[in-house]
Amino acid sequence: MAFRKELSRRTFLKGVGLSGAMIRLGVPAFDAMFNPSGNAYAAADAASTIGSGSIESRFIVWFNGNGIVEKYWIPREEGANYQMTPCLRPLAPFRDDIHILSGVDNPAARVPGPGNGHAKSMSGLMSGEAFTGRGAGGASIDQAIAQQIGKNSRFRSLQIGVCQESFGESVQRNMSWAGRDRPLPPEMIPHRLFDRLFGSKEQYWIDRKKSILDAVSDDARTLKASLGHGDQDRLDEYLTSVRSLERSVASLPPEYSQVVEQPPEGGDLKDWPRIAKLQSDLLVHALASGQTRVASYMLTKCQGLSRFPWLGYTAERHHEYTHGQVETPEGQRILRDINRWHVEEFAYLLAKLKSIREGDGTLLDHTCALYIHEHAEANPHKNSGLAMIVAGHAGGMKTGLHTRQTGTIGDLYQTLAEEVVGAQIGRFPSGNEKLSDIV
Amino acid sequence: MPLTLLLAGAAFAQSNPKAANDAYFGEKLYPLMVNSQCNLCHNDNGVAAATRLQFPSAEAEPAQITAFGLGLMALVDREQPKKSLLALKPTNQIEHTGGARFAPGSEQEGVLLGWVNYLAGLSEEQVRAAQEKIARARSHSVEPLTVRRLTHSQYNNTVRDLLGDQSRPADGFPKEDFIHGFKNQLEGQGVPPLQAEAYSEAAERLARSAFRGGDQQGLIPCEPDSATDPICGTEFVRQFGLKAFRRPLGFGEANVYVELLRQEASRTGNFIGGAQLAVETMLQSPHFLFRIERGPGSPFRPYEVASRLAYFLWDTMPDEELLKTAEKNGLATGEQVEATARKMLDDPRAKGSMEEFLAQWLRFDRALSAIRDRRLFRGFSTELAAAMTEETRQLFNHLVWEDSDFREFFTADYTYLSTDLARLYGMPAPPEEFVRVSYPPDSGRAGVLGHASLLTLTSKPSDTSPTERGLFIRDHFLCHDVPPPPPGVNTALPVITESKPMTNRERLGVHLNSEACSGCHRLIDPIGLGFEQYDAIGAFREQMTLSFRPEYEDDDGERPERIEVKLPIDVTAHVQGIENSDFSTPKDLGGILAADAGCQKCIVKKMFRYAFGREETLADQPAIEGILKAFQDSGFKFRELIVALVASKPFLDGGPS
Repeated sequence: MAFRKELSRRTFLKGVGLSGAMIRLGVPAFDAMFNPSGNAYAAADAASTIGSGSIESRFIVWFNGNGIVEKYWIPREEGANYQMTPCLRPLAPFRDDIHILSGVDNPAARVPGPGNGHAKSMSGLMSGEAFTGRGAGGASIDQAIAQQIGKNSRFRSLQIGVCQESFGESVQRNMSWAGRDRPLPPEMIPHRLFDRLFGSKEQYWIDRKKSILDAVSDDARTLKASLGHGDQDRLDEYLTSVRSLERSVASLPPEYSQVVEQPPEGGDLKDWPRIAKLQSDLLVHALASGQTRVASYMLTKCQGLSRFPWLGYTAERHHEYTHGQVETPEGQRILRDINRWHVEEFAYLLAKLKSIREGDGTLLDHTCALYIHEHAEANPHKNSGLAMIVAGHAGGMKTGLHTRQTGTIGDLYQTLAEEVVGAQIGRFPSGNEKLSDIV
Repeated sequence: MPLTLLLAGAAFAQSNPKAANDAYFGEKLYPLMVNSQCNLCHNDNGVAAATRLQFPSAEAEPAQITAFGLGLMALVDREQPKKSLLALKPTNQIEHTGGARFAPGSEQEGVLLGWVNYLAGLSEEQVRAAQEKIARARSHSVEPLTVRRLTHSQYNNTVRDLLGDQSRPADGFPKEDFIHGFKNQLEGQGVPPLQAEAYSEAAERLARSAFRGGDQQGLIPCEPDSATDPICGTEFVRQFGLKAFRRPLGFGEANVYVELLRQEASRTGNFIGGAQLAVETMLQSPHFLFRIERGPGSPFRPYEVASRLAYFLWDTMPDEELLKTAEKNGLATGEQVEATARKMLDDPRAKGSMEEFLAQWLRFDRALSAIRDRRLFRGFSTELAAAMTEETRQLFNHLVWEDSDFREFFTADYTYLSTDLARLYGMPAPPEEFVRVSYPPDSGRAGVLGHASLLTLTSKPSDTSPTERGLFIRDHFLCHDVPPPPPGVNTALPVITESKPMTNRERLGVHLNSEACSGCHRLIDPIGLGFEQYDAIGAFREQMTLSFRPEYEDDDGERPERIEVKLPIDVTAHVQGIENSDFSTPKDLGGILAADAGCQKCIVKKMFRYAFGREETLADQPAIEGILKAFQDSGFKFRELIVALVASKPFLDGGPS
C-alpha cells in the first residue's frame, strides 16, 4: 500500500448530521498534504478531529493470545543496556521507540469464579475486572480511553482482528468491551475494513442513508420508551450503535480511496501474515487520516488455535503448542518461533507508524501502542509478572528501556491513559496508583 | 428442607469465632466458601447438583445469600454441632468428593464452626424468623425479558421467507459467540456498532435485489396509479409491514413508512424506488431485528405467540397461515397453541430448526473446524468431518421425526454411514451413502457416543483428550458445569519421552495424585478414559501409538526416522456420582446415560435453553420437571418433549413461570 498522489491541502469528510445539516469532519493530512516545514495542522478547521496547534495522541492496544515463553522473550537485564532476546529481535530497529515492561500483575485473573485460566486472565487483562462467566467484567482499557478522547472522531474507536481460529466463546473472540458482557467484535476482513474507512460514496447515497437511519433512530427511541427496564438497556445498545453508524456515514474525498490502496477481495483469507499486514496498513491510515484516535488490534484470539504453515508448524494449533510437549527442547523452539512471529507483526506496525510524517516527526511520535498477552509464561497460565511492550513517543514516554514493574495492569493503564494519551479516565479497575518509570 | 425436624435439642455453643447475627454468614463465611469454590460444584448445574447443598447464583442479592446461609440449618446437628455435615464435609472428615476445601484446624474452619454453632443455637422463634426470610428470598423472581434479537440463522431464514432472498447475508455478520452452550443466548445478543453496520449494509443489498428488474418477488400488492400513489403506497406498507414486523402496523407507524416511500418515489420518479427505501428502512427497524413481546396484556399477543412458535419450531418468521391464525385469535388457549405446534412440527422447516439445535448442542462447529496432524491421521479431511456430523444428524432426525425412543440416541446399535466413514470404522461400505447399517455385534460403538463426530470434536490435533471427553459428557449430556482448575495451579502434565513412554491414563494419573486437581478430575478423567480405544478421529485402536523424533544424530549426521512405541490401553472407566456405572466402551456408557434420570433431564434443560435463549432459573424448575415427565411418559418421543415445552407455562406466558 502506498501514497500515490498529491492531495489538495485541506479536504473534508462529507456527511449530514442528525439535524440534517452538513457536518464537516476535518481530514488531516497524509504527508502529501504538508508543506515543507511540516506544519499544515495549524490551519485545521475548528470542528475538525485535530486539535488546534498540537497534534493529538493516538492509543493502540495490540493483543495476541496464549502468552509467551519467558526465557526467550523477557530480557535478562534491566535498564537501557538490555540484550534483545530471540523473540524481541524483530524490534531491534525500534529499540529507541519501545519500552519493555515485565512484572505487571493481573490480580482480577485470580478472583475465584467461573471460567478457565484464559477466560479469567483475558477479562482481567482487558477490563481489570473478574470474568463474569460470559464476558469481561467491565469496559476494556481502549473503551475507557475512547470514552474520553473518541467523541470527535468519525469512529470513536476501531476494533481490528486477524487470526480467527478459537474455541468460539465470547471472551476468547473479543478483546474490546463497551461494558460488562458487551463485546465489540473486531473487523476481520481487510476489504471490509477498507470500505468502512475509505469507501467513497456519492452525496446522494449519504443523504439517503441518513434519512433511513433517522427513521430507524426514531423507531428505536419510541420503542425504548415503551419497554421495561431490562429491555430498555438492550434497545439502548442498538440505538447507540445506530447513532455511531449515523456519525460514520460520510464519504472521504475520492482522493483518499486513491491514496490508500484497496486490499484485494480474494486471496488466501487464512494467510495470516498477509492479513496482519493489510490490517496494520489500514489501521495506520485510519489513524493518520484522523478517523479515529483509539484502536484495538487482535492478532490472534485468546486461547487461540491458529496454525503456522509459514513457520512449518502445522501438526498442532497454537494453544496445544503452549502445553503438551512445550517443555521439551523442540517444544520450546516452536513456541519461541511463534512468539517471534507475533513480535514481527508488531514491528511491522511500528515501521508503518514511523513511515508517516506528522508535524515535525512521525505518527509514531504521537502514538502509544501497548502490546499485551493474556498470560506471561504460557504453559502454566501465569497471570502475574506479565511482559508487555509500550511503543511510541506520545506524551513523552520513556523508551529504550526494560524495567521490572511491581504494579498492576490497572496501574499501568491509568498511567498510560492519563499521563501519556491525555485521557482522564480516573481509576481503572485493579489499579491503585500510577507507575513511575513510564513518563 | 425439613427444618422442623431439626428443632429439637438444646443449643450448644463452642469456642472459636462467634456469629452474633445473620450478617455473619454473608460477611465472613460466604466469601470463604466462594473462595474455596464450593459454589462451583454445589449449584443446580454443578457436578454436586444431586447433593443437598445448592448455592445461589453469582448474581444473588444479599438477602438471598443470607437466606442460603440460614438454610444450611438442614446440615447442622443441633445436639452435636461438631458432628454436623456442614462441619465435617468441607473439611473432608466425612468423605467429600471435592476433597478438603477447609483445612481442619485452620482459621477458615473456625469461621465455619462459628456459623455452625450459631445455627445450632438458634431459638425456635429465631428458626421461624429464619424460615420466613428464606421464603421471602425465594419469591424473588427475575424480570421477564421480552426483547430478543434475531439470531444469524433466523435472520437468514427470515429474509429468505420475506424476500425470497437465498443469499444468507448473516453468514458475513460478526460471528455469534457461544454462551451457556448455545449461540442464541440473551447475554450474547447485543448489537455493537459493527453489527449495526452489517445490518445496514445487508438491508441495502437485500432491498436492492428485491426490486432488481421490477417487483420480481410480488411484494407490491397493487398497481400504483402514479409514482406517489398514496393508496397503493399505504397498501404496500401495511401488507409488507405485517410480514416484516410480524404483526399489523399501527396507524402512525404505517404513516412514517408511507411518507418515506412517497418522498423517495417523488425524488426518483418511480414507485419502486420508494418501496425499496421503505423495505430498506424496515429491515433496520428494531421491530424487524428484534422480537418484541409485551406479554399477556399486549394488543398484539396472538402475533407474539405466533412469532415465538415460528422462531422456535421453524427458526424463521411466521408464514401467512400462522399470521392468519393470529389474526383470528386462534392462539389464545394452551390447547390451540399445542395443536398449532403439532401441525408446525409436520412442516419441513421444523427439521431445520431442530438440526440447528443439534449442531449447537453437540458443537458441530468444533468437528467441522477440527484439524489433525497429517502424519498421524492421513485419512482426515474437512469432507470426512462433514460426513461425521451428517451421521449424527441422520440418527437424530430418525429418532425425532420417526417418533422413536430418544434414548436410542445413546444406545442405537445401528448407524448411518458414508463409504469414507465405513472405512474409518472398519466396516463394509454401505450399499448407498448414509443408509442405515448395523454395527457388528462385538462393536463397542452405540449411539452418538460411538460417533466419529463426538470422538473427533473432543480430541486434539495429534491425540485424544480423555479430559475433554469426560468434560463433554458432563457438560452436554449431564448438564454439569465442572469448575475450571483453581487459579494458579500448574496444569502441566508430564512430558512423554522415548525413554519414558506413557499412556494417557498414566499421564493423567498426576491429576488424581494432587489434592488441588483430584477433586474435579476424578469426576472427569475416569469417564474419558473409557473412550481411549477410539483415536482422535474416532477410529478403533487396540493400542496407543506414540511417535518420537529422536534428538540425537546418527553416524551420518542425520536425525533418524521417527520411531513408534505401542502401549496397551486400559479402558476401565466409571461415572462418579452414578451408581453401578463401570464401563469400558461407548456402548456401555450409552446404556448408563440412557437410563439415567439426570441425563434425561439434561436433554430437557438443553432444549429449554435453546428455546428460551437463556439459562433456566429456580422459577423454571416446575416447568422443567413437567416437560421431563411428559417426555418420560411418552416413551421418550422427542416430538412430545417439544410439544410439552411449547405448552409449558413459561412458553405460553412469556416470562419465567
